[in-house]
Amino acid sequence: METAKRYRGGLILIEAVLILGGLVFLIPFYFLIVNSLKSFGEILTDAASWPGVFHWGNYAEAWNKTAFPKAFGNSLLVTVASNLLLVLMCSMAAYRMARRPTRYNRFLYAAFVAAMVIPFQAIMIPLVKVSSLLGIMNSIWGLIICYLGFGAPMTVFLLHGFVKSVPVDVEEAGRVDGCSPYGVFFRIILPLMQPIAVTVIILNTLWIWNDYLMPSLILQKPELYTIPIETFAFFGQYTKQWDLALPALVLGITPVVIFFLVMQKYIIAGIAQGSVKG
Amino acid sequence: MRLGKQALLLLTILAMALLMAGCGKNGPEMDGGRKVLHIFQFKVEIAEALEGLKAEYEKEHPDIKLDIQTVGGGSDYGASLRSKFASGEEPDIFNIGGYTEMEMWQEYLEDLSDQPWVKDVKEIAKEPMTKNGKLYGQPMNLEGYGFIYNKDLFAKAGITEKPVTLSGLREAAEKLKAAGITPFSDGYQEWFVLGNHNVNVAFANQPDPAEFIQGLSDGKYKFAEDPVFEQWTELLDLTLEYGNANPLTTDYNTQVTMFANGEAAMLQQGNWTQVQLDGINPDLNLGILPMPIDDTAEDNDRLFVGVPNNWVIYKDSPVKEEAKEFLNWLVTSETGKKYITKEFKFIPAFDSIEGTEEDLGALGMEVLNYTDAGKALTWNWFRLPNGMPQEISSSMQAYIGGKIGKTEMLEQFQMNWDNLSVD
Amino acid sequence: MTRRKTSEQVQQLVFVGPSTLFFVLIVAVPFFLGLYYAFTDWNGISRQADGVGLRNFAHIFTKDPAFLNSFWFTAKFMVLGVVLTNLAGFALAYFLTKRLYTRNVMRTVFFMPHVIGGLLLGFIWQFIFVRGFSSIGEATGLAFFKLPWLGTEATSFWAIVIVFVWQNAGYLMVIYISAINNVPKNLIEAAKVDGAGRKQVLRHVIVPLVMPAVTVCLFLAISWSFKLFDLNLSLTKGGPFKSTESVALNIYNEAFNISRFGMGSAKAIIFFIVVALISILQVRATKRREVEL
Repeated sequence: METAKRYRGGLILIEAVLILGGLVFLIPFYFLIVNSLKSFGEILTDAASWPGVFHWGNYAEAWNKTAFPKAFGNSLLVTVASNLLLVLMCSMAAYRMARRPTRYNRFLYAAFVAAMVIPFQAIMIPLVKVSSLLGIMNSIWGLIICYLGFGAPMTVFLLHGFVKSVPVDVEEAGRVDGCSPYGVFFRIILPLMQPIAVTVIILNTLWIWNDYLMPSLILQKPELYTIPIETFAFFGQYTKQWDLALPALVLGITPVVIFFLVMQKYIIAGIAQGSVKG
Repeated sequence: MRLGKQALLLLTILAMALLMAGCGKNGPEMDGGRKVLHIFQFKVEIAEALEGLKAEYEKEHPDIKLDIQTVGGGSDYGASLRSKFASGEEPDIFNIGGYTEMEMWQEYLEDLSDQPWVKDVKEIAKEPMTKNGKLYGQPMNLEGYGFIYNKDLFAKAGITEKPVTLSGLREAAEKLKAAGITPFSDGYQEWFVLGNHNVNVAFANQPDPAEFIQGLSDGKYKFAEDPVFEQWTELLDLTLEYGNANPLTTDYNTQVTMFANGEAAMLQQGNWTQVQLDGINPDLNLGILPMPIDDTAEDNDRLFVGVPNNWVIYKDSPVKEEAKEFLNWLVTSETGKKYITKEFKFIPAFDSIEGTEEDLGALGMEVLNYTDAGKALTWNWFRLPNGMPQEISSSMQAYIGGKIGKTEMLEQFQMNWDNLSVD
Repeated sequence: MTRRKTSEQVQQLVFVGPSTLFFVLIVAVPFFLGLYYAFTDWNGISRQADGVGLRNFAHIFTKDPAFLNSFWFTAKFMVLGVVLTNLAGFALAYFLTKRLYTRNVMRTVFFMPHVIGGLLLGFIWQFIFVRGFSSIGEATGLAFFKLPWLGTEATSFWAIVIVFVWQNAGYLMVIYISAINNVPKNLIEAAKVDGAGRKQVLRHVIVPLVMPAVTVCLFLAISWSFKLFDLNLSLTKGGPFKSTESVALNIYNEAFNISRFGMGSAKAIIFFIVVALISILQVRATKRREVEL
């Protein structure tokens, strides 16, 4: 009884400290949201204060100028397609690499891991040359292909670690039931991968959704532009149009925040169910 | 074994891809019976007005479709343009700067010397894009800078005469300070404020800037031994002595805001700042002062005027003639001229285009007047080795931050120059 | 026998083929193309590139102290960034797996910073450091907010570290939360029955069991900090006086501002070799630790 009480007191203290820390964490978002509702002059002269007049018009203008529905559609297609393909493709590769560590597979895995640290800027011009040879410039699917290539190392790395922690016995059960190797993978391994897959999907979603450089190189037609490209159009040589860029930014991150809120349940649920761990 | 098979498959796919991509573009790209003209530009500030221009142009030229692409983000234009050329999607018309940049792109540029508009280009705007007597670009506009000043604050501090010498400027700063006004708003966090504009004062005041810059590469001149650079550091010191606190944390926005709020009386910027100033405080009474380095009035009463960017045409473009026609229309037709001054708010680089105060604002008008009176000095950062302005700005920041002294700053200029002037 | 072998080959192709194909096309081929440019004087523009042998490498090692400095900066940044993000991430995860009322809300709050992409994030923070902090400083009089943020070497360095930790701690927290949730409750209970205090449970039960997650998180943080670019470019641009220039930014400037693409590629290769060596050592070290446990 006594212990429980003290424990409760400790928890309340922790909770208070965390909430305080959380508020500090949110300060930049305060700046972001408050300033997205001010006029240009007010943003520059008084950044920290509450808006004198709420300029909701900023949002309407940002919505129109970024052609938001179109940009949103493009971003969504790129993000969803790249994510699904990446997870499918890489979980297969990771599974095979972990279960059949032949010399070739080990070499390939090492190459993937090494590639995780190549700075994109170092290969972007050669990449554009290769892309144009492959005929994938200026198309959404071309961009998706680029993400498949660039996302593969990190995704395989994360999934590989997980597969290794799954006991081989689990597969035996499937084999006994007469599953083909493909059946074993799709019916037994893939479902087990759910928690790590969710983690990987979140990581890749954030990266792809926010990425500016790659789409700006590959996509050169306004009708293909994604949200980051449209947002960057507010940053000029001298003038940064904060009164439009900030609302555009808020519009751009809202879907991702919602996405995370939804996915969070799955992470927790998935982890709780999946008893497998190493 | 497995390895071999996979490699074979990969090779086959690659080879197929190469074959498919083998066919380059031969004829002009068509869209609904209209020839497509690809324009690639970086001036975000005029992107919206260009849409209007496009509509007007297409109405007058029903057989042409303009495809205008603007690259935002400020610094990524160079990388995007390179990737366009690397991928074989060369635009028909694009933007580049003069001198060093022109040299780099030389092999792709069409000679425009025979164009009808060439005779109207202001002298100061021709040189950056001229090589061996041939003109390779159409100047987009003129821009000029100096110390923008708040006339009302000057009057309030009791300054009756416009300072055009170094000691005159010092006196004015002293009076402003006494009146409780910060004399200079220094935005020395921005590399372009230092490495392009500020140091250019020392280059432009050389008897022959081009010869001086060549001499630096040849070893004929040294930064440390140059009298003009010595004088220029006095001016830099003056802005620091009478400037705001923390100049190294002051970015462009902060610098402009401080001035627009009436906290500071001067800032080193140019006519491009008008838009931003109007956005914060449209009632400012503005002018531009020269940036003097010594006490001879007639030598120092000048602004620094140059061409920030040029329109150029890709030499192997299938619609080269159409591209020339467009550039010609832009600076000779009534519609084109109207867009340049009234919509883009550009200071025209052509004698044949008039600018009014209503369109250009007080700052633009001042720059235009100085230019037409022959009281303009040149922009020389386009002549420097690539990457040099950023290096200069780093050394100047180290000096401003008190990390190094004057001599060391000039020595660092020299060291970086020697590193960067070899390819 | 043969059929079995064929089926193995088909499986290999089906399972590993697609990732390998895209990886080779999009990453490996451009990388080797870059390798080729490292031995030329290509400026990134011209149709022509002349071979210069090892001249680029010689130039980098003899005439370019800034590149070495950027390595030094990146190394310092990496050590601090990796340690602090992981500590913060783990601490958050540890406390947010307790029965708190606001548990789910707080998880989202701490994760939020990761949803803004690097470049824009840097712009916003620059805004906060330059304008926001000074407003707060004036209002409260606290010296911390009156520092010349982004104006001196030390404050700029810490500014980048702070933003990096702010941005990434929440992400690592999510991974640590899954790992901690996976620690069997009966193990913890058993330890408590044996008389272990909270600290001992943390040290002897929880930490060893989340080691795989530590490996993953360390590697993620290392790879992020090595590739530091967007944040660097938009927050400090490497300034003041180049004191905060990361290797990635140095390479970018070499290739695109100075227009020596060949030289930039040579730098990229040097960087790649160094980082690959460090990564391999790191993965080996943590993997060995896992096995021991």
